[in-house]
Amino acid sequence: MLRALREIEGGLKLSLNAVGRMGRLRRAPVRESFLRQVYFTGVTAATGVVLRASVLGVLIIAITMDVLDADTDLAVKILLLLVFREIGPLAAAVVVILRTGTAISAEVAMMRVSGQTRALRHLGINLYDYIVVPRVAGVMLATLVLTLYVQFLAVLGGLVFSPLIIDATFMELAGRFSELFSPVDFFYSTIKALLFGFAIAACCCYHGLNPPGLTQNAVPQAVTRAVTQSAMLTLGINAVFAYIVFGILFFGLVTSKV
Amino acid sequence: MSIALRYLCRQPGAPAVAVEVPQGAVSRAHLPDPQSSARFIAAVAEARCEDGEELELLGEPVTGLSNAARARLLRRVGVLSPRVMLLSNLNAWENISLPAAYHGSPSLERVAQITQEVLAAFVEEPLALLARLPEQLGTLQRRVVAFVRLLVNGPELAVLDNLEEGLSREERACVARFEPEYRARHPSGTLLYVDTKEEHS
Repeated sequence: MLRALREIEGGLKLSLNAVGRMGRLRRAPVRESFLRQVYFTGVTAATGVVLRASVLGVLIIAITMDVLDADTDLAVKILLLLVFREIGPLAAAVVVILRTGTAISAEVAMMRVSGQTRALRHLGINLYDYIVVPRVAGVMLATLVLTLYVQFLAVLGGLVFSPLIIDATFMELAGRFSELFSPVDFFYSTIKALLFGFAIAACCCYHGLNPPGLTQNAVPQAVTRAVTQSAMLTLGINAVFAYIVFGILFFGLVTSKV
Repeated sequence: MSIALRYLCRQPGAPAVAVEVPQGAVSRAHLPDPQSSARFIAAVAEARCEDGEELELLGEPVTGLSNAARARLLRRVGVLSPRVMLLSNLNAWENISLPAAYHGSPSLERVAQITQEVLAAFVEEPLALLARLPEQLGTLQRRVVAFVRLLVNGPELAVLDNLEEGLSREERACVARFEPEYRARHPSGTLLYVDTKEEHS
């Protein structure tokens, strides 16, 4: 219990520091680290893993439509509400947790265990500036881009493959989709993706900087904690967003009066 | 003569340590054991004291310093120690230029010039060395890179900790040239060699 409270306090402190020090991205080494993070999280992930995540989105649409015996209207609503708003950001977040979250927590924990964070302090380099800020900013941006990429591919896949399952043409579905799509959908998933990225990176940096010990054995423990808590945070943020937008939480057990 | 460094450590269960280094001198401190050495280096490198320690750096007691004042003071102190290691994911040049790039001074052109001059005096293929990661460097090469990083920052007080540890006789002769190199660039600077009596004997 005490450890959990300490982790919440430490995580909040780290998050506030990361937000407050975003201006340090102007410094050359911090900016380079940020670009490196964007490359590793966004570009390398986009090539293979995201494509598979998008296929998953298409499969979900196909199964849902088949089970619900969907018509054009329902198919487009599924695409918009399920794929665009929910599966897109969540699939991107899962990819980021599995690829980048593990890498960040392991790398930072190794730096901590091997004394490199101490070396940075001795050189007068702030750990928040050099380690936390570029990773948090980089992962936020990369998660947003990956989300948009997954959404585009999954929606496109849904529009292309749905005519094979329901009685509608691609043009009918695309037309109905553009009618129902509103800027709120875009802002909703954008804010959610940025928050997912922030939570994942901050959580992984925190556990990397605070491993349970200073031996090599502490590194995998830090990674496990970071990944587990990142996943829980992502699901928590998703639940809060669902409550705000749809007004229901936990399968309708908590309902909003809004 | 003014004092560049004054350090006192009286902790229970640990041998008492007192180090006093006059400004502008080349001094040697033989500390009683590796733990005392680690405490001393940590205190100097972070300008921070634990219970039972007292430290004065370049005329300023470090106790009660604000973070900004501590950062300013640390810019005038350089430590070359196995405890202030190179960053493993940066190559030698990035390690050397990182503090200057982060703090904004000296300029990267000046860093490149110093690096070129110093490496030419100590290694055979400076350009190839600069592109290597620390794990691809030998013990002496890592020490030379760390020494260049120290010189680039132009410290008024340079602390060289266990400089000869793990080096062959030829390599020790090489690191013995660190002192004249530092003196040539900082004639009024203070140099302190630190080693432990166990390793010394």
